[in-house]
Amino acid sequence: MTMNERKTIDLDQGWEFMQKGITKLKNILEGQPEPQFSSEDYMMLYTTIYNMCTQKPPHDYSQQLYDKYRESFEEYITSTVLPSLREKHDEFMLRELVKRWSNHKVMVRWLSRFFHYLDRYFIARRSLPALNEVGLTCFRDLVYVELNGKVRDAVISLIDQEREGEQIDRALLKNVLDIFVEIGMGQMDHYENDFEAAMLADTAAYYSRKASNWILEDSCPDYMLKAEECLKREKDRVSHYLHSSSEPKLLEKVQHELLSVYATQLLEKEHSGCHALLRDDKVEDLSRMYRLFSKIPRGLEPVSSIFKQHVTAEGTALVKQAEDAASNKKADKKDVIGLQEQVFVRKVIELHDKYLAYVNDCFMNHTLFHKALKEAFEIFCNKGVGGSSSAELLATFCDNILKKGGSEKLSDEAIEETLEKVVKLLAYISDKDLFAEFYRKKLARRLLFDKSANDEHERSILTKLKQQCGGQFTSKMEGMVTDLTLARENQTKFEEYLNNNPNVNPGIDLTVTVLTTGFWPSYKSFDLNLPAEMVKCVEVFRDFYQTKTKHRKLTWIYSLGTSNINGKFEPKTMELVVTTYQASALLLFNASDRLSYQEIMNQLNLTDDDVVRLLHSLSCAKYKILTKEPNTKTISPTDHFEFNAKFTDKMRRIKIPLPPVDEKKKVIEDVDKDRRYAIDASIVRIMKSRKVLGHQQLVMECVEQLGRMFKPDFKAIKKRIEDLITRDYLERDKDNPNLFRYLA
Amino acid sequence: MNKLGRGHRDKVQQFITITGSSEKVASQALKASDWHLEGALDIFYTKFQNPYVDMILADGITLLCNDLQVDPQDIVMLVLSWHMKAATMCEFSKQEFIGGLQALGIDSLEKFRDRMQFMRSELKDEQKFREIYNFAFGWAKEKGQKSLALDTAIGMWQLLFAEKQWPLVDHWCQFLQARHNKAISRDTWSQLLEFARMVDPTLSNYDAEGAWPYLIDEFVEYLNENGIIQKGQLNDWSQKC
Repeated sequence: MTMNERKTIDLDQGWEFMQKGITKLKNILEGQPEPQFSSEDYMMLYTTIYNMCTQKPPHDYSQQLYDKYRESFEEYITSTVLPSLREKHDEFMLRELVKRWSNHKVMVRWLSRFFHYLDRYFIARRSLPALNEVGLTCFRDLVYVELNGKVRDAVISLIDQEREGEQIDRALLKNVLDIFVEIGMGQMDHYENDFEAAMLADTAAYYSRKASNWILEDSCPDYMLKAEECLKREKDRVSHYLHSSSEPKLLEKVQHELLSVYATQLLEKEHSGCHALLRDDKVEDLSRMYRLFSKIPRGLEPVSSIFKQHVTAEGTALVKQAEDAASNKKADKKDVIGLQEQVFVRKVIELHDKYLAYVNDCFMNHTLFHKALKEAFEIFCNKGVGGSSSAELLATFCDNILKKGGSEKLSDEAIEETLEKVVKLLAYISDKDLFAEFYRKKLARRLLFDKSANDEHERSILTKLKQQCGGQFTSKMEGMVTDLTLARENQTKFEEYLNNNPNVNPGIDLTVTVLTTGFWPSYKSFDLNLPAEMVKCVEVFRDFYQTKTKHRKLTWIYSLGTSNINGKFEPKTMELVVTTYQASALLLFNASDRLSYQEIMNQLNLTDDDVVRLLHSLSCAKYKILTKEPNTKTISPTDHFEFNAKFTDKMRRIKIPLPPVDEKKKVIEDVDKDRRYAIDASIVRIMKSRKVLGHQQLVMECVEQLGRMFKPDFKAIKKRIEDLITRDYLERDKDNPNLFRYLA
Repeated sequence: MNKLGRGHRDKVQQFITITGSSEKVASQALKASDWHLEGALDIFYTKFQNPYVDMILADGITLLCNDLQVDPQDIVMLVLSWHMKAATMCEFSKQEFIGGLQALGIDSLEKFRDRMQFMRSELKDEQKFREIYNFAFGWAKEKGQKSLALDTAIGMWQLLFAEKQWPLVDHWCQFLQARHNKAISRDTWSQLLEFARMVDPTLSNYDAEGAWPYLIDEFVEYLNENGIIQKGQLNDWSQKC
């Protein structure tokens, strides 16, 4: 076939041929009996279009065919599709629509093949909408525009039916909703504007209705169960028939209606709200609460705040309980930290374990809850019980664990674990310096009186403290532990020295613990008049010490000494384990049979307090080594004492305890003094670098610098500032009294 | 007298007016100073000088007050001391005394008395009052001490605030005696004037976060605790009765 041979086809003739093909296609679509298109049919149809488009003008019918292509769709839709859709409703209408749409797509596919040549040249050259697009646009403009409102309502009503538990044809919905997407031809506008917006509004209304009933009828856990179930089902819904882009929007709506709107009401439900769940340890419900509320904006804040309130209340109740217990027994044992307080610390540790587990498990380690826990513990951990600060309680608790024969009988692992927890609690205590001071006092007693149960535990807690509070915090304590090792070596050398120089041996076994002053708590060193035997010992040791080192000064602290002495009583000779003070007093009776209070005091050169204390221990307590005249229970300066030769006891060796002086006041005073220095140093440091600074900032920076150790009181800082002004470190600005200047 | 020339006679007259001494003393003194009248101030000083130290001490001041016809307890004596830059209360060194008189332009007892009136009026001047107030601290405290004994401080406050009204002054003094009972630092001293000037007596504009010395903070607490200040009102029994 050559060009010349081709006969020009005119429009009517050509279109008539095309019309036949189109009718055949329509019949197929309508399901009427019609043989399939053969490839020959198709080729003829295509060729006809090709020919009609490639004829020389004026016989190039491209434009007309392009128009007719569109008209074919329009005609089919108007005459067949729309009437069939209009007569159906609801689900049936939806089914019809799905069918019609699928047919339409087939029709577009076929027709656009027949007319394909238009796509290749005519359309490309003129930049017109492509055949496929024209086909779809027809459906959109004629069918979709008319029906989308109806369709949307039908779909939403089906969704609502499903929400109410009815079975619906999910595949149908999926297909219908696909139309909303496909009709956009790559854009989501139609889906979003014509369907999604209304669906979301309906969802909101639906759940708003539901929530308003549930919140009245259901308990908090039931409500949360329902809410979680609803959220799950909505998510399911998206995966089955909604477009995936709807998921966040849909869930947001549901969460808003079910949770945000009723958050406060739900959390504060009287018998089942967050408080009640915490009270009844409803771990699962609390986990659910976290899951739900973590999804809504700022949803966790009220939960964490209730958590904080709850923990604070629990802790405060423990404080109260311990306080009551302490006041009940206060009459006889004032200021001595007893079992009750030990129990209190135990309970606080348990409380912490419990709620830390909540934070980790129920609240997924969320920082908000860690913060709440910390704040709650800070509130009641700093309250103190029965006149003892919590710093002291913790130090005593540690002491009880670490000392020999303490009230806590624990395995090594349990001790380690408990220590770990105590150190954790310390983080909540603001007076860490006070803890350190008490701890050091107790550590000193453990080390010096050989009461420490296990060296490894001692070192282990120091390591833990160091990790948490820094090296400065533990340096003195570490020094103390090391000191004791050195002191033992020193003692070995002293014994060697005595063996090598038998002439200087005082004839009494002497053990001296040489310590470094700075590491240890300060002790009063009184000039006790030692008995001559002991003076000799002191001298021998001093001579020995001189051989080792020249420029060190030895200060003897007799108040910490112990002596084993033999008492030759009439019934039997007994070994008495006493303090150096007691021994010195008893040895006085080697020279005289009867001594007055005044004589004892003068000979010993001790204060009234000490003399009363030690005479009481020897004459009024369990073991009456001395008889007192008059025979009363208290010591008065007019009393007289005699050696009680008749004294005896079942044991051959007895320990006569001398009750320790209450050091609490001194510890607190020491800490107070140290704080003054610390505040001074901090202020000077800050001012040295800033030169000029406002009062507020100075106070703030000072609090920040010192916060690791203690919480300085604003008043204390003010006093220190004024003191520094008096000492000419600072001055007030002449014009602005709120401004301080550093005077270099 | 008649042995003297006219010029000398005039000087003797002048000398007498300055010092109020007798004619004989006057001419002797003038002769001794080779007829320089400046010496007259020296003589004037000598009149009050303590017989044992080269200073005017308490008895000298009493004498001076008699001549000036003022009470030694009068606040105007503080103003005078301020002018003389006196280092310590109840004492004038020779240098302070003569330097002060020269600065004040006093060359006769008459003028001295007149000047006292002027000095009294200086207390009304806000700026001068502040200088005098701050001067008073160093002047009233014991030598070698950094702070001012409480009794002295209270006395000074009562004197000073009698001039410049401050309704809380009695409460302040009561508070110090009840709660503080220690010496007063210079900072507290000077800040108290600022407090009296700036803070309304009902404490409505008092800022607890401010840099007021802690003693003043405690004073405010004391006022609130004791119901002296209630709801921004001063319940002042001391002024009612």
